[in-house]
Amino acid sequence: MIAWQAAGEASIPARLQPALALEYGRAHDLPDAALLRDTGLTGSLAADEMISVSQYLQLLANTLRGLDSPDTSFMLGQLMLPGHDGAASHALVQAPNLRVLLETLCRFHARLTPLLRPRFETWDGVALLYWVDACGAPGLRPALVEMHMTALVALCRWLGGERLPWRFCFNRGAPRHIEQHQVHLGADVRFGCQLDAMLVDADWLDRPWPRASEMAARLALQAAEAEPARAPGLPAALYDYLLAQVRESPTLERTAADFGVSPATFKRQLLRHHTHFQGELDQVRTHVALWLFQVRRADNEEVARYLGFHDAANFRRSFKRWTGLTPGPIRAAIDGELGWLTRLSGAAGA
Amino acid sequence: MNVVARHLVLLAGLLVSFALLFVGAGAVIPLAEWDLVDIASEGGTALLAALWCMIVLCSRPDGRVTRLLAGGLACIMLGSWADCLDEAFDIDKSALWDNALEALLPFGMLVLTAGMHYWRHEQANLSEHMRKRERLFRSHRPFDRITQLADAAYLRAQLQRESRNDQPCALVLFDIDHFHRINREYGHAEGDRALQAVAHMLLLNLRNDDLLCRYAGDRFAVLMPGLTQPQGEAAARHLCQMVGAMRHHAGSGRVALTLRHGCADAHGAPDALLADLCRQMDAV
Repeated sequence: MIAWQAAGEASIPARLQPALALEYGRAHDLPDAALLRDTGLTGSLAADEMISVSQYLQLLANTLRGLDSPDTSFMLGQLMLPGHDGAASHALVQAPNLRVLLETLCRFHARLTPLLRPRFETWDGVALLYWVDACGAPGLRPALVEMHMTALVALCRWLGGERLPWRFCFNRGAPRHIEQHQVHLGADVRFGCQLDAMLVDADWLDRPWPRASEMAARLALQAAEAEPARAPGLPAALYDYLLAQVRESPTLERTAADFGVSPATFKRQLLRHHTHFQGELDQVRTHVALWLFQVRRADNEEVARYLGFHDAANFRRSFKRWTGLTPGPIRAAIDGELGWLTRLSGAAGA
Repeated sequence: MNVVARHLVLLAGLLVSFALLFVGAGAVIPLAEWDLVDIASEGGTALLAALWCMIVLCSRPDGRVTRLLAGGLACIMLGSWADCLDEAFDIDKSALWDNALEALLPFGMLVLTAGMHYWRHEQANLSEHMRKRERLFRSHRPFDRITQLADAAYLRAQLQRESRNDQPCALVLFDIDHFHRINREYGHAEGDRALQAVAHMLLLNLRNDDLLCRYAGDRFAVLMPGLTQPQGEAAARHLCQMVGAMRHHAGSGRVALTLRHGCADAHGAPDALLADLCRQMDAV
């Protein structure tokens, strides 16, 4: 059975990520009444108190709304990693290079980044890290993406001692506060893409970092592995499951059974996370199709076969429904100088 | 009780005690003889003056100008109120106190005028102070909380103005070297202090026509109208030297603050111009 955590259950130690958001809000003169509104929390968080993902999200939403400043998500991001989660945070700090750092982050994502699940892929000289919803917060998604990307960029810069030449894709239109992206992330930002992703040349993955020690890194990882694992949020667990099963045409019934609940309960739980089964499945299939276009240079026929579609025309129609674009322009963008996943219609580029 | 409520109670108390004074000293004029237009205009003046007085007290910090303005308005309020009560109560015309109360109105106007005079001085000082931060144009947009400088949106609007203009103009961006380390090692409060220090140093060394903005994070932007790109470059190097020579202290030790910069000609579409310059900054 697959382990997962509902957003309503107490699962995050209040002294970790939530305490950071609370402290940041207080340091900027937001009253507790505004910060804690609708969270069900009181001002003093007990040392061992656990709060739910929903409460943490509400706290973040209150902070963002209360401060009403475009840099809040970026500043919160700078505070976020490595975090204070004992062995997992320690393993991050001890990472001897970028590759180990990204693998560690993905391995312990349920602890380190409970709201968004990072996924790390690499092929032909490119390393890609993209962020998948782990908590069901579509309204906060842009801010969460800004926060998590800034966290990772700032951590790499701190550990590596230099600014990495990341490129950024955002699954949203260009915002008004693009200056925050340029300064906190980097000048190479693109909006209107299909993924919230950050890319860097794979050469950077294995460059040793100044303080690197293989031994310390191994010990830290062992210590983190020895701790009891925390279950990821339902959307993250479902994404991983669907990605593994995407060729078997997963159904709601089978999936619910594998998650250990009835289909009705599963549906209700997904609804509570502001999503539904078909939407999640379509998202995974979009990502897999993009992956095949990009890495295997696959044509529609191959992707249709891979995903179990009847024929290429069927796949083409579905793809249009998922992304609003036919595969043609996407493939052209991938082949062209724009590189990766850029959506040609609308505003492309900064 | 908060400040607003205290002011409100004070003004209401004055109005009520005046009314009681008139009730005690005079006889009520029969209702048929009341001149309603006079009562409405004088009473209305009193109430509006009370409102203005409240606005002044609530929106300005305490000080000489605030006291003169509020005091003048309070006198106008009381004078008009006495006039108004005079219409409803029959007071002996030889009573000096009644005349004195009505004379509060012109006296209040004098006090108010004095307040306005000092206010003008104050405003001139403030405008001088704000000059390099707002340049030619004032909008009621909040400034950046930490540095009190204008933000990127304002800079883009100014660049838009510049792009329609023929005179040369340079745009310079500054980044603080290793700023993220100050944040990590000393905390964000110290980071904010460093930003303020750099902003002050830059302001002190700018010409009156220059505009300093906080672009985002540790990136500042200076718009230099009238300067060509090489001149802007020279000015930027000077500004970097000035900030580099500054001594900034955080915690127990001294923190070196140095800047790197990028410079461009400020004509062109603001978004593309800024994106290019940001790319240039990343490469520095």
